[in-house]
Amino acid sequence: MKRWVHRTAGLLPTAFLLLLLILAGAQPGAASEKSFLDEVKAVNTPFDNRSVAQVLPVTQPTVLAKEDYQGGSFRVLARKQEIERFKCSSCHTDKEVRGKNALELTHGNVVVQHGREGNALSCIDCHHPEDRDALEDKKGRKIDFDHSYQLCGQCHFRQKRDWVGGAHGKRVENWAGDRVVYNCTTCHDPHSPKFEKRFPVIYAVPLN
Amino acid sequence: MNTSPKKNFRTFIVDAIAWNLRGGIAFQLFRLLLLVFMGLGIYAYSYQARYGLSVTGMNDIVSWGFYISNFTFLVGVAAAAVMLILPAYVFHDPDFHRVVIIGEGVAVGALIMCLSFIMVDLGGPLQAWHLIPGIGIFNFPSSILAWDVLVLNGYLLLNALVPAYILYCHYMGRKADERKYRPFVFLSIFWAFSIHMVTAFLYQGLPARPFWNNPLLGPRFLASAFAAGPALIALILAAIHTFTSYKIDRSVFNKLRLIIVISAIINLIMLFSEIFKEFYFPTHHSSAAVYLFFGMDGHNSLVPWIWTSVCVNLAATLVLAFNPGKNNPKVLLPACVFLFVAIWMEKGIGLIVPGLIPSPLGEVVDYLPTWVELFVTLGIFSLGITVITWLVRTALIIEERYEK
Amino acid sequence: MREKKIDQDQKSENPTEALEEKSSRRSFLKGLSIGAAAVSASLVTGCVPDVGAATSEELKLRWQEFFKKNYRLMTQDEKDQTVARLERLASLRDGMELQIGTEPPVEQVLYGYAFNITRCEGFMECVSACINENNLDRKTNTQYIRIFEMEPGKLDPSEGNGNFYHEVPVENKFYMGTQCFHCENAPCIKACPTKATWREPDGIVVVDYDWCIGCRYCQAACPYYGRRFNWGESEVPKDEITQKQHYLGNRKRPMGKMEKCTFCIQRTRKGKLPACVEACPTGSRVFGNLLDPDSEIRYVLKHKKVFRMKEELGTEPKFWYFID
Repeated sequence: MKRWVHRTAGLLPTAFLLLLLILAGAQPGAASEKSFLDEVKAVNTPFDNRSVAQVLPVTQPTVLAKEDYQGGSFRVLARKQEIERFKCSSCHTDKEVRGKNALELTHGNVVVQHGREGNALSCIDCHHPEDRDALEDKKGRKIDFDHSYQLCGQCHFRQKRDWVGGAHGKRVENWAGDRVVYNCTTCHDPHSPKFEKRFPVIYAVPLN
Repeated sequence: MNTSPKKNFRTFIVDAIAWNLRGGIAFQLFRLLLLVFMGLGIYAYSYQARYGLSVTGMNDIVSWGFYISNFTFLVGVAAAAVMLILPAYVFHDPDFHRVVIIGEGVAVGALIMCLSFIMVDLGGPLQAWHLIPGIGIFNFPSSILAWDVLVLNGYLLLNALVPAYILYCHYMGRKADERKYRPFVFLSIFWAFSIHMVTAFLYQGLPARPFWNNPLLGPRFLASAFAAGPALIALILAAIHTFTSYKIDRSVFNKLRLIIVISAIINLIMLFSEIFKEFYFPTHHSSAAVYLFFGMDGHNSLVPWIWTSVCVNLAATLVLAFNPGKNNPKVLLPACVFLFVAIWMEKGIGLIVPGLIPSPLGEVVDYLPTWVELFVTLGIFSLGITVITWLVRTALIIEERYEK
Repeated sequence: MREKKIDQDQKSENPTEALEEKSSRRSFLKGLSIGAAAVSASLVTGCVPDVGAATSEELKLRWQEFFKKNYRLMTQDEKDQTVARLERLASLRDGMELQIGTEPPVEQVLYGYAFNITRCEGFMECVSACINENNLDRKTNTQYIRIFEMEPGKLDPSEGNGNFYHEVPVENKFYMGTQCFHCENAPCIKACPTKATWREPDGIVVVDYDWCIGCRYCQAACPYYGRRFNWGESEVPKDEITQKQHYLGNRKRPMGKMEKCTFCIQRTRKGKLPACVEACPTGSRVFGNLLDPDSEIRYVLKHKKVFRMKEELGTEPKFWYFID
C-alpha cells in the first residue's frame, strides 16, 4: 500500500508543474487593465503621410480647402467642372432672363426638397441673387461653388465640424499621402440632399 | 504457424499477423465485413479529397460536425482504459490484471480512430507536416490543439509500447520486468486524465462559444468518459468471454458496473448543474442550450436527439445502479449498450454542434451529416474495430499460452 | 527457381518473340515508373487526378510550393521566389497575368477602423466591393462583411436581421456592419496550432494560406464570425478577378484553407483605402493610422462616443462603432 502512496505523491509535483505550464501559455493579457490604446495615445509624433512610398496622388481636380484640419491643410474635390451649365453668368447677366418656360427648360431637373415642407429652402436662400457664379450665405458673404462647405456648414455646423475632422464624409482613394476629401455636394445633391431609398446592391445568402 | 523453437521479434510480428489472418468462418466474415466498410470509407474520403469539405454538411457556422463529434467521444473511450489500469496496478486486483491488456488494446484502437477523425476533418491534410516542430511550426504552449496533438500521441505510445513489451516478454516465455514498465503505467494513469482534460480544454478555452466556455466541461468529459468507456469495455469483455476460450471472472464485471454507475451518476449530476445554469436565468449565452433542448427560430432538429439521449442515459444509469436481476448479464449488458449510445449522442453531436449554433452573430442553421461523413465515419469505426481485434486477439493468444 | 528461368529463356528462341518479351518487360517497367510518378504527383497535388493536363513545369512548381516555409520566416528572396512561382502557376493554369505583391508593413502604422451606425443605410455597396476586390468565391456567396438590420434599443447582432433584401433604409431601423475586427488580442491567433495566422506589425491579422492545415480551430475561436473557410475550390469569373494581389491578401486561396478580411492589405500597404471604405456611398466607414494623432480615426476616437462589439471578451478589436 505504501508504494502506491509514494507513486501518486510523485505525481502531484508533476501535475502542479503542468498546471503552471498551462497558465504560462494562457498569457493573462486580456484580464489586465492595460490596453494597446494606452500605447496608441502615448504616440505624439505626427505620422509623415508621405512616408508611404507607393501612394498614388489623386488625379481628380481639387482645390485647397479654406480651413485646416487637425493635421494641417487638406484638399477638397472641385465641383465646378461637374456642374453642367457652369458658368451661370453666360445666361444670367445684368439683364433679366426672359423666355417662355425658361425655368422648366433649363432648371426643370432641380427638385428642391431641402428642409421641411412649408419651411423649405428656396433658390435665393443659397444662390447669390446678383452674381450667379457664386453662392451667398446668410451673412451676405460670397462663397465659391468649390467651397460650398462654408455655406452648408452655416446650418449643418456639426456635420461640417465632423467633416473637417474626418468623422463625416470620405477621403478620396487614399488613407495616406495628402488628404483629399469629398466635397459636400459630391455626395449630397444640394437641392434634395437626403439619400434616396433603394434596394441593396447584394444580399447575404442564408447558410441553410 | 512458427514451429521452430527459435523465437525473436520478427517471429513475434509474423505470428501476430498469422494469428489474425486465420480463424473460424465467423471471424473471417467479421473481418471481411470490416474490410468492406473500410473500403467504403476510403471511397467516400477520396470523394471528399477531390471536391473538398463542401461535400460534408459543415459550413462556416457549423464548422465542426460529425468527425469532431466522434473524435471528442472516442478520446473519452481511450482515456477510460485507466479505469482498468487503476484497479490492476494501484489496487493490485488480480482479476483486473488479466483484463488490463484488453483495456489498453481498446485505448490504442480508440486513439487511432481519434487521430483518423482529425485527419479526415482537416482541410489540408497534406500540410499536416507543418505541425512537426523543427521542420514546421508547433504553436506550443499557446494553442490547445498543439497540446492535444502531444498528449494524444504520447498516450498512444504509452498504451502501445507498454503492452507490447509485456506481450513480447510473455511470448518469449519469460516474466515481464515490472520495474521497467511500472513507472510508465503510472504515467499513463495520470496521462489518461490529462488527455481528456486537454481535449475538453480545446472547447472550454474559447470565450467565443458560451456553451463550451464553462469550467465544468473538463470534469464532465471525465465523468462521461469513465461511464461510456468501461461500458464498452464490459461489452467487449463479455464478447471475449462468450466467443473465446479466455474466461473472465464475474467479479470483473461487478466491479466495472460499480465504476460505470459512479461515473454515470456524477455525469448526470453535472448535466443537471449545466441545465440549471442555462435555464434558471437564461441569458444570450444560453441561446445554444435553448437551441439544443427546445429549438430556436423553427430549427429544432437536435431536440429529439438530446431528449432521447438524456432519457436513455437516465434509464440506463438507474438500471445499472439499482441492479435489478442481481448482476444478471442479460440486464446489465443491454444497459451498458444504451448508456454507451446515449453518452455518444450527448457528447458527440449533442456537444459540438450546439456549441457552434447560433453563430457568434446569432444566426441559427441546422446541421445534418451527409453520406460522405457517414461512410467515412463507418470506415474509421471499422478501422478502429479492426485494430482492437488484431491487438486483443494477439494479446489473448499470448496470454493464454503464457498462463499455461 | 533459377532452373525455371533458364528454361523460359531457352523457349523464346524465336527473335520476334524475344523482342516482344523484352518490350513487354520494358513497357511494364515504364508503366510502373509512370504510375509511381503519377501517384506521387497526385499525392502532392492533393489526390486530384487531373495530372494528365499538368505540364512538368507546373508539377515542379507545385512540388517546390509544397515544401516552402511559413511566410513569416521567409527571407525577402524566398518571398519573391514564391510569388514568382504563384504568378507563373496562375499563368500556366488559368492564363491569368497576376501581380502578387509582398509589400512589408509600413513603418509606424497601426490600422484602425470606425463604422458610423447613424450613417449606414444598408446599401451593402461595401459587401459587393469587398467581393470584387478580394476575389471571393462566387459559388458559395462568400462575404467577409455582414450587414445587420437592427431594431433600435438592441445592440446585439443576434437580435438583428443579416439576410434582409428590401428597400433600405427602413424607418426606425439602423444598420450595423461586421467583419474581421483585427483584434490586438486575437483568440484566433492563439488557437492556431501551426501559427499560420498572426498579427502583422501594422495590426492586420493575416493568414498564410499555404501554411494553414485547415483544422478550423480559429473559426471556432473567433467571437465575431470573422473567418471563412474554403469548403470547396473557389470560383471567380475570369474577367472579374482583381489582378493586383498580395500574398497574404486577395490571391486565389487553395481549397481547404482559412481566409478572412485583411483590411485590403494589397491596397492599404500602398496607401489606398480598403475597398469597403472607398465604396461606401454614405461615408459611414473611417479608416486610418492609429499611431498618427492627426488621422481621421483618431479624431473619431477622440470626439465621438465609440464602442466595440463584445468588448467584455477582452479581444481588443481595432474596429469601433460610433454614432453621429
